[in-house]
Amino acid sequence: MYNTSDIKNGLKIELDGQPFNVVYFMFVKPGKGTAFTRTKLKNLLNGNVIERTFRSGEKLAPADVAVNEMQYLYNDGEAFHFMNTETYEQVAIQADVIGDDKDFLLEEMKVQVLFYKSNPVNIELPQHVEMECTYTEPAVKGNTSQGATKAAELSTGASIQVPLFINTGDILKIDTRSREYQGRGSSD
Amino acid sequence: MLQALRTTLDDRGYLECPTPVRVLQPGVESTLFALPSGDRWLRTSPELALKKVVAAGLPRIYEIGPCFRDDEHGAWHRAEFTMLEWYRAGATLADLEADVIALVTRAADALGVTPPGPWRRCSVRDAFVHATGLDPWTTPPEILSPEDAGDPDGAFFRRWVADVEPTLSGAVFVHDWPPSQAAAARVVTRRAGAVTRRFEVFLDGIELANAFLELTDGSVQRARLAQTAQEQADAGVPVWPVDDAFLDAVDRMPPTAGIALGVDRLVALLAGWDGIGPGLVPAGD
Repeated sequence: MYNTSDIKNGLKIELDGQPFNVVYFMFVKPGKGTAFTRTKLKNLLNGNVIERTFRSGEKLAPADVAVNEMQYLYNDGEAFHFMNTETYEQVAIQADVIGDDKDFLLEEMKVQVLFYKSNPVNIELPQHVEMECTYTEPAVKGNTSQGATKAAELSTGASIQVPLFINTGDILKIDTRSREYQGRGSSD
Repeated sequence: MLQALRTTLDDRGYLECPTPVRVLQPGVESTLFALPSGDRWLRTSPELALKKVVAAGLPRIYEIGPCFRDDEHGAWHRAEFTMLEWYRAGATLADLEADVIALVTRAADALGVTPPGPWRRCSVRDAFVHATGLDPWTTPPEILSPEDAGDPDGAFFRRWVADVEPTLSGAVFVHDWPPSQAAAARVVTRRAGAVTRRFEVFLDGIELANAFLELTDGSVQRARLAQTAQEQADAGVPVWPVDDAFLDAVDRMPPTAGIALGVDRLVALLAGWDGIGPGLVPAGD
């Protein structure tokens, strides 16, 4: 069991029969009264974020979770398939669980696959990915307004906002959580 | 910054009183944990020593210095921090509010930032009802917080920390707390049920200071210390010695208002940091 003093970002705990990842925590000691830790917990099965406040001294159960790096193979419309490149074990995760993460999934990409009680339940993308811009309108000459953006289509079919100077064929570095353009990729 | 705080209090007639950091009895509440230092404890606040000074006849005193609390770690907590604590005999809580506004405003000027404000005042009950729709004086603990059934204080503070504190935006004096947490303050009866005559100062949802109309009955204080000792024994943590000179001082003290303010937090909140970080100066560890 964990103590409240073990709470930190990334700690995986079991609550109400579901696994959660701590994504935010704050120790609070009321002027008079016992101490608490305010948390935001992300449900590892469905991605929902809930808030929970633990009192100092309360015990938290560790979640029976494991994370393995696996390679993305393909999707068959219903599920996304991943492979352990050492054991060649393959697992499938339902498309509705993958959700918008599919926008940044390229074949052969390495992702973290989360197992809960030995079942594959979700994936975690790298913080940043590099993807090709497959189409964007050419820059309009003379438009130098600061912060202006335009749509760019990615090789997965997804669309993000990019600065005006980006051209079709550029490699883009993208933050997978904020879905924001971070710069031009290293292979540019 | 420290100069600004000292000048403000000096100008308002306060005398700076350094008191010992290593003490016999480090605090009065079982919810605080002290660090040992040889055969003594490191103080959790200068409260006991400063009350002895008030009882000895100095009506307006303050101290700025280090205090130590074990088991408090996080963005807004450190085991060692700087406390500004001041006492004012014959004063009301409104007098302390005026002191706080003067101190914070002058500190902001010293840092070259816009002073917080406008300051507003609210009651615990109103803030609680506003945030949760529930009156903590009349709502049973199991309704406030099902996991705290049978524990009114636990239920109150869990909801307070989770749902009410984060809604306290701006600069707020929060008055009239539930009495069961009155470590050393006086209790009166009011419309919403019994309340403790104290307030806490919040800046953007972070507690900055804690003010009391101080208890001046040594026998009541002794009973509360006995309860603290019982709670410490029940929890299996060290039971602090009782400083009889402190109890004697409580008996002899005139009616007094007292307040403690976290200096590290004041700096961080004025500077717009998201925690107290290394504190007033880079510590190097």
